[in-house]
Amino acid sequence: MAVLALQYALNGLATGSLYVLVALGIVILYRTSRILNFAHGDIATFGTFLAFTLITRLGVAPLLAYLLTLATTGLLGAGFYSLILRRAKEATLLGQIVMTLGFALVLNGAVVVVWGADTKVFPSLLSETKVYHLGGIVISQLSLGSLIMGFFLMVLLYLLVQWTKVGLAMRAVSQNPLAAQALGIPTRRVLALAWGVASALGASAGILLAPVTLLDPFMMLDPFLKGFAAAVLGGMDSPPGAVVGGLVLGVIESLFGGFVSVAFKATLAFAIIVLVLTVRPEGLLGREYKKRV
Amino acid sequence: MGRLRWKGLVLAVAGLVVLSTPLIGAQERGITPTEVVLGSSMPLSGPAAYWGAVGKGIDAYVKYLNDQGGIHGRKLTFILRDDSYLPPRAVANVRELVERAGVFAIVGLIGTANAFAVRDYIVQNRVIWITPTADSSIWAGFRQKRYLFVTYPSYVHEATILTRYAAEKLGVKKVAVFYQNDLYGQKGLLGVKRAVNALKGAVKLVSAVPYELVVTDLSSHALKLRGSGADAVILYATPRHGALIVREMAKIGYRPRLLASFTLTDPIMFTLAGEAWDDVYLTAFFPLPGTDPKVDETLQILFKYDPTLRANPFNSVAGVAFLEPFLEGLRRAGRDLTTERFISAMETIRNWDGQVIRGVTFGPDRRQGINRIYIVRAEKGRYTKLTDWIEYPVEF
Repeated sequence: MAVLALQYALNGLATGSLYVLVALGIVILYRTSRILNFAHGDIATFGTFLAFTLITRLGVAPLLAYLLTLATTGLLGAGFYSLILRRAKEATLLGQIVMTLGFALVLNGAVVVVWGADTKVFPSLLSETKVYHLGGIVISQLSLGSLIMGFFLMVLLYLLVQWTKVGLAMRAVSQNPLAAQALGIPTRRVLALAWGVASALGASAGILLAPVTLLDPFMMLDPFLKGFAAAVLGGMDSPPGAVVGGLVLGVIESLFGGFVSVAFKATLAFAIIVLVLTVRPEGLLGREYKKRV
Repeated sequence: MGRLRWKGLVLAVAGLVVLSTPLIGAQERGITPTEVVLGSSMPLSGPAAYWGAVGKGIDAYVKYLNDQGGIHGRKLTFILRDDSYLPPRAVANVRELVERAGVFAIVGLIGTANAFAVRDYIVQNRVIWITPTADSSIWAGFRQKRYLFVTYPSYVHEATILTRYAAEKLGVKKVAVFYQNDLYGQKGLLGVKRAVNALKGAVKLVSAVPYELVVTDLSSHALKLRGSGADAVILYATPRHGALIVREMAKIGYRPRLLASFTLTDPIMFTLAGEAWDDVYLTAFFPLPGTDPKVDETLQILFKYDPTLRANPFNSVAGVAFLEPFLEGLRRAGRDLTTERFISAMETIRNWDGQVIRGVTFGPDRRQGINRIYIVRAEKGRYTKLTDWIEYPVEF
């Protein structure tokens, strides 16, 4: 029983680490621009398909393909902000959010047209069938790899935000965009960068997920919703909150599926959102909710 | 002078009305002397978009037929609408196809829930409906079936046959079901339950694990199945979820016997699931690609007209299987096509073999075109036929 619970918890941790990557992308954008990016999942899907083409069709070495993909997807996100979103000067915040929804539909349609709707096998450097046994608990090489990779990316992001000048500028813009601009911080460029980083994070989540969940144009639908739930759970403007939220959600979900009801596992995340918003609207680690004036 | 002109005009109009009346009378929705209009609603986007290949297969085959000159001088027009597998959109699409596009018949329409949603509308509007790809047992005892013709198997009977086979031929004692949480999977589960009850203790249903279509993390599902101790798992899933669950089970070292619905006979399973798809028992209701020259020939035609179908041979050839009886009906109805003549012609089809579908029988009181399947086994990228046709009762 205890071993089984540990197994469920470990599975949850592996899934949760990917929720974290998705949630971080959502949180970074929300923090800097107050925009909920509904295209996050589809940008990630686009990136994953790009990596797929680079590796399987063009024969690019996997690691190089991953880097190329992250760069391209980052450019796509930054481009969407600079060329489309920013141009809509009159758009309200809600209007901008709806624009991301539109971008999501365009991207998804494009992916279906270019790559087709059939399911594909995404090649991976790590094996899914090779498993490690730890006293009755099983973890595949692939899950272990994504878990490590997920944590590595989290640390990288932390270093970027907390220890670099760019990160400082990002934090400044998120706290007070007008003051930041007045102090000579190029807010537009910083925002474009935030879009780029968030999109690249999404793509890395997609690349880590695809070997496990198989690749199709809708693969990010569920991870995006779960990442969003994790972000709400942890606090929409707190990156550490996104990390905690993602891991907690992954583990709770897995345990719930194992011991309570596997049929309601998929809806659990949304029940949690409702609960969090009622009891602690700012999320686990979020700052107290104050409307920005 | 003015009066005369009026008189002339009235006469001319009256003459036109008289002349055109027979033409209007003979003109039925969706038929002209040179054209027959067909329509369908299928998932071309959304998580079930994969099955849209059925519609693309139909489209490619229709193009091929038109290049051959059509049927009795009439070309076929096929209008395909996307419903994302959502029943409300299927309803809107079918209304548009009937009321605005004016189709003669609806061919296919994917999803048991979707077919259910549009059923009443189609029946009330007396639209000919050829093989909704929905569990055919939903029509059992259905009375308003005059315009309906179905050559799709019943998941309930299929699951019963699979469970029996597992118990009697494979020595399975404890069975579990992994199923999609909608009418498709639930009908499969129902069939397993019926067989378990009928076999009186020879086999037990130890677990039924549902999944939602959008969910991609199936690790808890696999652990649940392993925990049940079942020595066979029956799958009612999409190819993607079927592949994911067998991979997850293999990962945690759980290797039960696997049985699955014919919806998973798609050759893509060998790619998606890899070695885990060895030694899986499935059913089929037409000769599978690679086992029959006529089916393979049809596939080549489809690939010629739409090369993208190469990624999805099984579903595209299944589209032809659903369309074929309709084409035979058109051929038999002759040059003077009306809805009534078409129905009478369909009712003369007895034990008829098409390019893909075989042994189709309709009749004045029979709308269930096929009532048989056979069992195959997946082995190293190929399917081997294990049994002869296994029949189940005709229910509608």
